[in-house]
Amino acid sequence: MQAAVFSALGEPNRLRIVELLRASSFAVGDIADALGIRQPQVSKHLKVLADAGIVRVEPRARRRIYHLQAEPFDGIARWIGSFEALWDTRLDSLGDYLHANDDQEDRQ
Amino acid sequence: MISSLLRKKKDLSFERSYHAPVEAVWRAWTEADRLRRWWGPEKTTVGECEVDLRIGGRIYVVTVAGEEMGKYAGTRWPMDGTFSRIDDLKRLTYDARSWTEGEEETTTIHHANDVTLTADGSKTDLTLHVAITEIGSKAKLAAFGMKWGYKAQLDALEKLLAD
Repeated sequence: MQAAVFSALGEPNRLRIVELLRASSFAVGDIADALGIRQPQVSKHLKVLADAGIVRVEPRARRRIYHLQAEPFDGIARWIGSFEALWDTRLDSLGDYLHANDDQEDRQ
Repeated sequence: MISSLLRKKKDLSFERSYHAPVEAVWRAWTEADRLRRWWGPEKTTVGECEVDLRIGGRIYVVTVAGEEMGKYAGTRWPMDGTFSRIDDLKRLTYDARSWTEGEEETTTIHHANDVTLTADGSKTDLTLHVAITEIGSKAKLAAFGMKWGYKAQLDALEKLLAD
């Protein structure tokens, strides 16, 4: 599921939909109107976003209301955090190495 | 905005100032026998390291989990990159893939890396930008330690059941 998140968000109109849904939950027609995208296109985009776990659909009477899901974003943030921590450690380790290796060789 | 948040999250920036001449920092990044001495985080060793410093040349480093990592000891995490820009003593860029050996399909992440060095007397300022472009489905789990988390939970459950 997570593999699809970045590619799902990589399409500009899908990202616009996500940003719209961040403000509030909407039905397909509302999204189409708000963003000026044709409704069938919006439906296609919503399907991709739903498959990636980014949005959840709630049937309400004859309308289908789309909600943004927090989990994929939290997942990305946590993952990126760990990658960031790895690089922080590594760059500190480079510092240790440079200081330990503060030898004639480098200064010649 | 989510887009700017995500862009920021996917584009990592690091800055360091080292008390070392720029030549030393450059060599630490571009000579395999030096790179291998600082690359691996603790509890790991560098199993293989190749640096072919030319445009299109390879930067290949395999990090290997040490004994302290328990059941993961011996797990190999390769990074395979290609240099796209080399400005001697100033700037180094490479696009790379990193993965867990044997699970390349699901653990590969793609990242673009840009290292800039600025000499400042006997000090060197380093900036590193890492732009993550793709994350494999399992990479995320492995990276933030869910495997370890699960194991701890199972151990706790086992203990509870034994009581």
